[in-house]
Amino acid sequence: MTALTLFFLASLLLLSLGLAGLVTRRTLVGMLISVELMLNGAGLALVAAAKCTAAPDVHGQLTALFVMGLAAAEATLVLAMILVVQRRFGHVKVDDMSVIQAE
Amino acid sequence: MDSPIAQVLALIKELLDSLQAAVAPWLPSQQVPAYLAFALYVLMMLGGGLTAVGARNLVRAMMGLILTFLGVSGLYLLMASPFMAFMQLLIYVGAVCVLIFFAIMLTANVPGGQEAKLPGPGGALRGLAVFVAPLAVLGPLLVKHVPDLELALPEATPTSELGRGLIGEDVVPFELISIILLAAMAGAVFLAWRRRPEGRA
Repeated sequence: MTALTLFFLASLLLLSLGLAGLVTRRTLVGMLISVELMLNGAGLALVAAAKCTAAPDVHGQLTALFVMGLAAAEATLVLAMILVVQRRFGHVKVDDMSVIQAE
Repeated sequence: MDSPIAQVLALIKELLDSLQAAVAPWLPSQQVPAYLAFALYVLMMLGGGLTAVGARNLVRAMMGLILTFLGVSGLYLLMASPFMAFMQLLIYVGAVCVLIFFAIMLTANVPGGQEAKLPGPGGALRGLAVFVAPLAVLGPLLVKHVPDLELALPEATPTSELGRGLIGEDVVPFELISIILLAAMAGAVFLAWRRRPEGRA
């Protein structure tokens, strides 16, 4: 088994864990944590594909950096949404809310 | 005359050398530390990830997430990309985890947290299915189809080259990311803005 396969398997593990968390968690905060796990797996796979193949190295690393930037932006927005939902419903349980509309 | 510490260190080094010499005939010696480090980082990732997904206490889940981030940054180091490892620590552990902690702090108004109840059997079954399905489908595909490339060991890319890439070929995604970050920040401020009650200055 090559190093590339091993790193890909590690990122696949992160993807599976994140998906399982996304399904089983009941609050928005828990789901945010799971999404961060999956995004980490994506970054890991990108860097592995850049470093362990003959592909240009810089591109892969920069793409993984962009994924990190997107993850940060997404976490910011989700935090704001969690704040809004908390104010409106008094909780952030996903099963108990169906409408998120501005007053 | 060496100091006692130096003597102890020399003894430890001798012991390690003899241990390596004893193990060497069975294993390709240069790869062993790399595989050991890989196993350690994957264990950190697995333990942290399981905690992040399964812990009933969200603060504990976040600690698991931090452990996972540390494991992934170790894997980046193993791939000879130290800049990515540092960025992983800075952005994820430094920024994203603080955001998640704020989210936990601003919402956990229930004793024991809102995740305190275990998922029912249906939920656990769904979680297990979603955990196993990608592993069962993609895992064998990866093992079978990832090409066996004969490459030299990767070397660390100088950060200056990464920077040149940012202002060179990848300048458009770079600028787009800055616009997205600005939009996300503006949107977050707009959403979280608390309007003052009517009649007050």
